[in-house]
Amino acid sequence: MITFWRVFKSGFRNTFRHAWLSTAATAIMAVTLLIMTFFAFSIYFVQSQLKEVQQKIDLTLFISDDAKDEEIKALQAKVLTTSGVTTVEFVSKLDALKRLENSSKEGSKLAKSASEIGNPLPASLEVKLAVIDDIGAINKTIRGYPEGAIITETSYDSSDDNRKGVIENIIRISNAVTRVGGVLSAVFLIIALLIIFNTVRMAIYTRREEIEIMKLVGATKWFVRGPFIIEGSMYGVFGATIAVMALVPLSRVINQFLVEKLNAGATVGYFSSNFMLIFLAIYGLGIIIGALSSWLAISRHLKL
Amino acid sequence: MILLDRVTVIYPNKTVALSGASLHIQPKEFVTIVGASGAGKSTLIRLLIKEEDPTSGKIIVGSIDYDTIDKANIPHLRRKIGVVFQDFKLLPNLTVYENVAFALEVSGVKSSDIKRAVPKILQLVGLSEKAHHYPTEISGGEKQRTAIARALVRNPKILIADEPTGNLDPKNSWDIIELLLKINRFGTTVVLTTHNKDIVNALKKRVITISRGRVVKDEKVGKYSI
Repeated sequence: MITFWRVFKSGFRNTFRHAWLSTAATAIMAVTLLIMTFFAFSIYFVQSQLKEVQQKIDLTLFISDDAKDEEIKALQAKVLTTSGVTTVEFVSKLDALKRLENSSKEGSKLAKSASEIGNPLPASLEVKLAVIDDIGAINKTIRGYPEGAIITETSYDSSDDNRKGVIENIIRISNAVTRVGGVLSAVFLIIALLIIFNTVRMAIYTRREEIEIMKLVGATKWFVRGPFIIEGSMYGVFGATIAVMALVPLSRVINQFLVEKLNAGATVGYFSSNFMLIFLAIYGLGIIIGALSSWLAISRHLKL
Repeated sequence: MILLDRVTVIYPNKTVALSGASLHIQPKEFVTIVGASGAGKSTLIRLLIKEEDPTSGKIIVGSIDYDTIDKANIPHLRRKIGVVFQDFKLLPNLTVYENVAFALEVSGVKSSDIKRAVPKILQLVGLSEKAHHYPTEISGGEKQRTAIARALVRNPKILIADEPTGNLDPKNSWDIIELLLKINRFGTTVVLTTHNKDIVNALKKRVITISRGRVVKDEKVGKYSI
């Protein structure tokens, strides 16, 4: 314990002893951590958007106003047995009106006028699919059922856009973000490792006399190595602090943009409710990068 | 006890530093090793602190056989052997006191024990007044006494002094030699290497002469003869 404390103190002191080298190492660490955080955020964002869109684009069957309850029930049961369908939910005319009312300001105005003319909104069955690709085939199957006679229209019939194309686009974007993020993060990770590696190598070189003396007076391997590992970890701690300090105002701006322009409440919510965890992850990552590159430098250049 | 049995050291470039050197030093002895530059003195000392391994032959110090000691125990071995060098090897950014305390810190000695031990040893080498000076602020003789204090603070059984007077004027040299004799009287084995003829002749102690990697002379009361 005494030894650990002495090693820690010495590592801490050494970090400040060559301030210029430490500055470069800290700066690159901060940039790397920021980039990695940014891409982690982007990947999470795109993927959560993808999930949301996939859920939105399931199949809706609009029911004729003349349909009887038993007919609707029969259709619901039949659709549920169709392979590829996970759930079928009934939305009555009244539910549809309420939804419209709650959807937005304009929606509530529309709902008001709709109710005045006797609620023209149709009742519907909302079908969730296991795999979105099957939407065309499933639509066709359902339309072929005898119970399907009460269906006036489906969301698939009325869609003029190519839903599959939209989803494929999102998947493409998601993959691209993941790939670019991964490559950039890896590149900066390597740069950070190299710079810290060199910083520690320089530190080993400038302190070679001290190291020799430590060995002569009987310092154990870890007493000599420890301070360098601590030093590397310090770059991680300082870099993470800078990254976090930059992230707080930055995330506010990004949050605003996402909420206003992209309606991405879920992602933003996830990030703000897990801020502590994210900070800890950034610090953890910084310390790991620092300690690892220090360790590499020691095992290459510190012959004990 | 130090025992070297037919020790040979051949470097990768085929230089023979020691060839079949054998010597036996009893506990509490004061031994001077003399030899021209390149005779193998420094190699001998590096072997004793296990900075180097012999190509062949056996080395036993105390009860430790150097062939069987594992790497992790080398620091512990070095703590039992005090070493002093011609160029002092003090840490320039630490004071006299801190340099001596450093040897205890690396061995995991408690701070309270360090505070007790260091002033005592500084008094023994006569440096109490200079405890808080940095190496650049003291004389060569004082630097060497600091190095001796650092070597002694852990109560080693053996003190190796590798040309400790090489950088000192005659007056300071004699102060150091007298300090080594005093340490030897307290029961520490002292192994001294030197080029200083006057010192060797005045000491009237055992002298081992090394030439071209061999022990060529070993006299109970020896003289400098190269």
